[in-house]
Formats: sequence, structure tokens, C-alpha cells
Amino acid sequence: MRWLRHPAVYWAVSIALGALFIYASHEKIEAPRAFAKAVYHFRLAGPSAAVGFLPPNLLAVILPWLEAVCGVLLILGVWRREAAVLTGLMLVMFLVALGWAVAHGIDIAHCGCFTVSAGDDDGRWAWLKIPGDLALLAAAVYVAAWPPLRREPQPLASTATVH
Amino acid sequence: MGARADGLRLWRMATIVSLAALLGLAWNAWSGRGMTLRANALIKPGEKLKEIPAAEAKRLLDQGALFLDARPQSIYEMGHIPGALPLPLEDFSTAFTRLEPTLRQRFDIVVYCAGYGCDASHELVRALRDKGVAAVILAEGWPAWQDAGYATATGAKP
Repeated sequence: MRWLRHPAVYWAVSIALGALFIYASHEKIEAPRAFAKAVYHFRLAGPSAAVGFLPPNLLAVILPWLEAVCGVLLILGVWRREAAVLTGLMLVMFLVALGWAVAHGIDIAHCGCFTVSAGDDDGRWAWLKIPGDLALLAAAVYVAAWPPLRREPQPLASTATVH
Repeated sequence: MGARADGLRLWRMATIVSLAALLGLAWNAWSGRGMTLRANALIKPGEKLKEIPAAEAKRLLDQGALFLDARPQSIYEMGHIPGALPLPLEDFSTAFTRLEPTLRQRFDIVVYCAGYGCDASHELVRALRDKGVAAVILAEGWPAWQDAGYATATGAKP
């Protein structure tokens, strides 16, 4: 498994994860009201008589930007491990929401995961959403916890035996 | 050293979250695509759509108001508000033609759908308004009615 600590593998996984998060954020940023509708659908953050519309609306406004900022940092390699931790936390939150939805019989075909236009997500890949999120979570944990090994300095012993 | 590094990581994560919150709130305020944070995002800014809670809907039902179910016919048959007529948004033209004589005589119409993220009732009220028929929306729809413990009916008949 030493290949997992190779810088090229680490960079490739970071960039792929970052690109995916930027892709996932752009439609939600362009259409916050449509994304709010997806958040309402899950019923986890409201709206309800008790909390009103503020919690789900704030989530709909801020979450896509958190995805985008983490995506950019993962690609640029700036604060990469911190961005990966936050990405992992978001994925855990998505998994909890998907699990909750499945447990309560709520349709997850139009979850707003990657697109908020109902026409672009016909539900064919709904079964892939939870395993897909688990795979992305594994990638985020990898980037957060296993940075590449630093190359050790070469020993000077060979020069000592020249005499 | 370890505690200091952990503190630095936490500070960086807090900075990332704060930056995202600032960007999100600024975009919501100034992009022209934002929404009122305390209002229902299903209602467009400046739009006059009225939502009523389940208790008020029940009172109107008891007074003889006409209820319209915006969900698909198959879902309607699984359970609906007693007396409600099916007017599925997906089949609006046909269903409206069938119900038009009744709808044009009523000024006490309440529309509902599957609640929460479902905006079929909002779309249906907009479509009815375009036809000159006024209606209000049961907030959070069918789940709110069920949660309140009010009577329900099943089958194809109202």
C-alpha cells in the first residue's frame, strides 16, 4: 500500500475530489431557491412550525459555497488537509440525510446532490448515491489522513567508504 | 507541538467555513438570484401566494371549502383529504377542463400536495390564477394534515 503515499496519487485524488465538489456546487450556487427546495424535501433542517424557514434556507445558501471553497482548496493544495476534513464532514452529513430519507420512504432520486434541475436527474442512478458518497468519503479521509511520505535524505555512508 | 498543530487546523477549518458563509450570504444578497432567508423559497419574491396552516384548512373544510389535490392520481388514491378533488399538476389541462365549471363558481379553494419540498401546489395555484381562479395553499401539504391527526380518505372517490 506504499503507492498510496506517492505524491502523484495523493495529488490526483485531491484534484478529482475538489473538481467533483466544484461541479456539485455550481448549479446550487446559480439557483439557491431550487436547492432550498431540495433541502426542504429532506425534512431534516426544516421547514417546520418550530424552526420556520431560516435553518433550511441558510443551509441552502451556505452549503454550496462551502463545497466550492473546499473544492478550490483541494485543487490548489492550500490548507488541503483541512479542506478534506470539511469535505468528509459534509459527506457524512449527506450520508445521514440520504439514510434518513431512505428510512422514511422519502424519494432520493431528486436529492439535489449534483443537480437541482429535476429534468437532469431522472432517478436512474439513485441506487448509486449512497455507495458513491461512501467512496467519496474514503477519498476525503485518505486526503485528510495520509499525506505523501517525505523523501528521506540520502545517507552519507557511501561517501565515507570511498577512502 | 501536537496541540498547537491541532489548534491551527481547527482555526483554518473555522476560517474556511466563515469564508463560505460570507460568500454565500453576500451572493444571496447581491447576485439577484437570492431569496429571503426567513421566507418560503417556493414562493417567488414579490409573489402573492397565500399559505394557510393545517388548523385553518380544517376550519375551511368544515365550512365547506373545496380542496384540490395536486399530486398524481395514483398517490391521491392512496390517501387524500376527505372531499378533495384530484387535480394533478402533471395532467392540468385535462383535469382543469373537467373541473372548470365547478372551479369558476368557488371562492374558497384550498390546494395541497406532498408537502415540504413539493411545489406542485404552488405551481397549481399559479396555473389556476392564470385561468382566473383564486386559491390558497395548505402549508406543508398532506404531511401537515396527517400530522395534525385530521380525517383522511382513500380510493378514487373524493
